[in-house]
Amino acid sequence: MFRIYPKMLMFLAAATMLLMAVGQYAIWVYAPEEMTMGLVQKIFYFHLPLAWWSFVAFFGVCAASVLVLWTGKEKWDVLAGVLAEVGVLFSGLALVTGSIWGRAAWNTWWTWDPRLSTTLVMWFVYAGYLVLRAADAGGAKGARMRAVLGIVAFVDVPLVFLSARLWRSIHPAVLASRSGGLEPEMWTTVWINVVAWGALFAAVVLARYHGAGFARRVEAALVRIQEKTLQ
Amino acid sequence: MNYLFIANVCIWVGVGGYVLFLARQHSALERRVRQLEILDADE
Repeated sequence: MFRIYPKMLMFLAAATMLLMAVGQYAIWVYAPEEMTMGLVQKIFYFHLPLAWWSFVAFFGVCAASVLVLWTGKEKWDVLAGVLAEVGVLFSGLALVTGSIWGRAAWNTWWTWDPRLSTTLVMWFVYAGYLVLRAADAGGAKGARMRAVLGIVAFVDVPLVFLSARLWRSIHPAVLASRSGGLEPEMWTTVWINVVAWGALFAAVVLARYHGAGFARRVEAALVRIQEKTLQ
Repeated sequence: MNYLFIANVCIWVGVGGYVLFLARQHSALERRVRQLEILDADE
């Protein structure tokens, strides 16, 4: 059974609007302009939260998939699908913004760097996972199959996170260096935007989860009514 | 500055597109609920 949390969704939507407004103010007014790259460095304040929340989404897919195998409950399967969808959106946007920033900073749209390559592989793996879900192999067997793929797909996620540390990469490992070459005001802006995008992430996941849950309940009710009519 | 503008456009088009997708899913769901109500009334 899917529980619905409309008040929580309203609260998250309001919090998202407020936090996004504060985040935008921090990016365009509060954060100082970076000396070497200039204004284009401000892409960083979108790029980093999008990438981090996509990692959270994919970790969620893995955790929900484990719960599918453990409990067999349908709601975890739905949640895994919703998280994968939002994760693909966020990591896709992180790839696009990274590519645009790369064009400005490295004078190239794309390079086969370990961080970039592992991220692209991750995006394709989860996009494939979504295609498989759309095929709708129904029943408990289908849910188990999706759960196994959801767990296996997660193998690439730690690789993406560690790639800039493990291999020679032109992509900076932001958390590896203590300050990351950023001014304190820049870090404040980063954290405000991480929280703002987190609120958006939570609101979208909850809204989609509600929709998917309702859809399944409606389909089940329709089937029951049709069966009754046939009897 | 141009790159910053392009990046911003991409982000908000992406997020807006997903919200539109959610809205479409919701209207499809509404249609199914109406179907359910009609079937229920027939009963």
